[in-house]
Amino acid sequence: MSISEITSTAVQSIKRPVGRSRAIGTLTLLLGAFTTLIFGLGANSASKSNITFNPTNLIGVIPPHVGDLSVPSKASCLLLGLCIVAIGLETLLRRPVKGLMVRFGGSAVLFVVGLLIWTVRTPGPAPFGSINMTAVLVGSSPLVMVLVFGALSGVMCERAGVVNIAIEGQFIGGAFFGSMIASTTHNFILAALMGALIGALLGLLLSFLSLRYLSDQIIVGVVIVTMLASLSSYLNVQVLSPYPQYNTGDLAPKLAIPLLAKIPILGPVFFNQNGFFYLMIILVGVISFALFKTRYGLHVRAVGEHPKAAETVGIDVIKIRYFNVIVGGAIAGIGGVAFVASYGQFQPGCTSGLGYIALAALIFGKWRPSGAVVASIIFGVSVYLANNLQTYNVPVRSAILQTFPYLITIGVVAGLIGRVRAPAADGQPYKRD
Amino acid sequence: MKSMHLELRNITKRFGNFTANNKISLTVEPGQIHCLLGENGAGKSTLMNVLFGLLEPDEGEILIDGEPVKFANSGEAVRRGIGMVHQHFMLVPVFSVAENVVLGFEPTKSFGRLDLEKASNDIRRVSKEFGLEVDPDAIIEELSVGIQQRVEILKALNHDAQLLILDEPTAVLTPQEIDSLLEIMRSLTAAGKSILFITHKLKEVQAIADVITIIRLGEVVGTALPSDPETVLASKMVGREVNLTVAKDEVAQGDTVLEIRNLIVHDDRGIPVVNNVSLDIHGGEILALAGVQGNGQTELVEAIAGIRRVESGTITLGGKDITNNSPRQILDAGLGHIPEDRQSNGLVLSMSVADNMVLNTPRRAPFAKRGTRNLKAVDENAQTLVKNFDVRTTSTQAPLSSLSGGNQQKVIVARELSRPIAALVASQPTRGLDVGSIEYVHKQIVNERNSGRGVLIVSSELDEVFALGDRIAVMHNGKITGIVPPSTSRSDVGLLMAGVTEGSNE
Repeated sequence: MSISEITSTAVQSIKRPVGRSRAIGTLTLLLGAFTTLIFGLGANSASKSNITFNPTNLIGVIPPHVGDLSVPSKASCLLLGLCIVAIGLETLLRRPVKGLMVRFGGSAVLFVVGLLIWTVRTPGPAPFGSINMTAVLVGSSPLVMVLVFGALSGVMCERAGVVNIAIEGQFIGGAFFGSMIASTTHNFILAALMGALIGALLGLLLSFLSLRYLSDQIIVGVVIVTMLASLSSYLNVQVLSPYPQYNTGDLAPKLAIPLLAKIPILGPVFFNQNGFFYLMIILVGVISFALFKTRYGLHVRAVGEHPKAAETVGIDVIKIRYFNVIVGGAIAGIGGVAFVASYGQFQPGCTSGLGYIALAALIFGKWRPSGAVVASIIFGVSVYLANNLQTYNVPVRSAILQTFPYLITIGVVAGLIGRVRAPAADGQPYKRD
Repeated sequence: MKSMHLELRNITKRFGNFTANNKISLTVEPGQIHCLLGENGAGKSTLMNVLFGLLEPDEGEILIDGEPVKFANSGEAVRRGIGMVHQHFMLVPVFSVAENVVLGFEPTKSFGRLDLEKASNDIRRVSKEFGLEVDPDAIIEELSVGIQQRVEILKALNHDAQLLILDEPTAVLTPQEIDSLLEIMRSLTAAGKSILFITHKLKEVQAIADVITIIRLGEVVGTALPSDPETVLASKMVGREVNLTVAKDEVAQGDTVLEIRNLIVHDDRGIPVVNNVSLDIHGGEILALAGVQGNGQTELVEAIAGIRRVESGTITLGGKDITNNSPRQILDAGLGHIPEDRQSNGLVLSMSVADNMVLNTPRRAPFAKRGTRNLKAVDENAQTLVKNFDVRTTSTQAPLSSLSGGNQQKVIVARELSRPIAALVASQPTRGLDVGSIEYVHKQIVNERNSGRGVLIVSSELDEVFALGDRIAVMHNGKITGIVPPSTSRSDVGLLMAGVTEGSNE
């Protein structure tokens, strides 16, 4: 046998699991059926839905007016529903091995559009006859941003083989101290530095316990979250409540980018944000580049996949893990500051589990910065809609709507929606022998 | 031509009270294949880890071309021209060949960017020079084990290694792949490289070594010539006379005791790895199942033992259908099972020898009565078995973890064979055991056969397959590629192991 033959038989012998495409196909099909039956057939054929694109309460730069879009509710929802059904059938029949997440994500987007069209149908139960797409996107953007910070933190840690379940705790720490610094100095650069420091210290604690004493990383992470949640409640009562000057709720100023901010729809979403938003975009690029194009990134990924192999070529496994977990912690800490800089005052429990959703976004995004961005958008928009759809008189209890992002999170983390492969040494303690 | 003269002088390495290496000295000349022969646990790997900078010696020194050197980590050893091919490959499965080869020594462009193009070109050049063809862009996990090993060798050569350490390199290879590895080794020494070849397989030593150093219990016990007969090498390695062949009498074949029909079993990922396998094991015969690791043997045995679900097909033991029965039902139906991974599936290391010896029958009389354990009976049972099966332990109440691997295996063998069974399934029964223990375990297995039981042996060691099997079945890629008598030549069995069957055009 020649080498090429040996290689090709080896490639053939690696078969792909079929269960995943079946699960995703079925799920997509159900989503499509729901859209078709409930949104499509459930709408009055005379109803129309208006979609507007002009931001309402924007401060500063206002882009030129764009016309509204008026679509027949029933026909649009039927069309969207049938599209999702088609994607589901295609997945079930062709059993593709790649692009499953893309198909599912695309179906989810179509579903959300269908949901919005159905919600604002007129005549219908909604108090408003239209939905403002730009407002939805602008409103979701701070959530998406915070999730991206958290997911990037996860990428840094888990690519090096340390599970950082303490992202939520780093958010809380960053938010608490970030708010204090921002309130006293009115300087969000200082606040961001403070958040980075707190996050880095928590990262140091996590890495110290898990690398030096080989403690279970999940347990250490949970302990850190619990500790920060309790500590911040306590300090809130003891410090922030009696001295409100330390928690004034300043918002970071919006920095409009000239010209670009004037582009309709895109302008307000991408180019009229606070500094944290731009920092996030830069970080996504920098981390992607560092992880996949540089020597440092190759070392990090080797450490996360096969630390022993890395050590035999002289790479210091422990040092790389310390570095990445501390930097990852700093990024999550900044994420916490970004949260208060976009929403105002720190309150106990204000991050409401976003750190865990960021973790789910990391998994959904296959441990890649770019994937984490896409996943964060899906999760961020769904959190925003769950919180805000109530105003449209959707005939579902708001409490139930608000469980959706967490249900998706459970599904993702449990591997129901497509299992993706974590770095092989993720969460494994490493000990030199 | 570059080359290296390596000398180890009085290397001593202790772990606590245990001396793994005691004043070991040896010299490797340029262009030489120096073979380090010794049993598992003799201290070969410790010595190599010292040489490769993974461990620091307590005493002694390493001299390269007469100059003493110290390595703080393996990166330094690599820079001084030492390359190591580990027994368990040190390759990142999801990386490409090129990424693995340059890891730790990456060529870069501006901003620390990897220069993978240069890496690929370097690999193509080196692989051409030494006849090690590999596609630099292939992903490691999609390559066969033999090719992965080439990548390991390439990795060492690419770092300009003058001395290559090969740690048990043939354990995972088919006979044909072993031949091609020996070929590669010859071409490397022809180019002036020296090789330290670690193994416990006598045939390979005889085929390739220039010099043989034998290590026992952490000490050099002598040297030998490749022309020395196998029995001489073996007795030097073990420290006493050993019998390498198992005496087998003719035994009348009985009825089928274990029948496997059209079995399909999936692995953890849901991929069918046992694909329509049918086998008959008769009373009074040993059916040896040969094959390279990872071709479905593990899953097949797990299905028989009831610890993996059967997707379709049937397993019949002594006339009773045991398909998808619980392990307890299967044990009660008369299956003896020596599992592949004794430490995780066959034993509880933190429990005593006595408790481990009743692991499969703890609830039965006389070991338990009305839900209470009869510890006296358990201990008496252990005393008897320890004596009968020659288990070396300080006490029957000692934790199993205090026993050597060979004695741990004897505990399992004793437990499985000390009760009435219809068939025995033994998976890699002698993996990691010393020659003495192998001899013992083989004798016990042959005794089972002689007393009329059916035995299924799964082994990736051809020596074992030929020594024990009355018939040899070969498994490749989830299928039985052939069932042949033990008079078949090794190379024919090797071809079956590679999936080459008569009439196929592969």
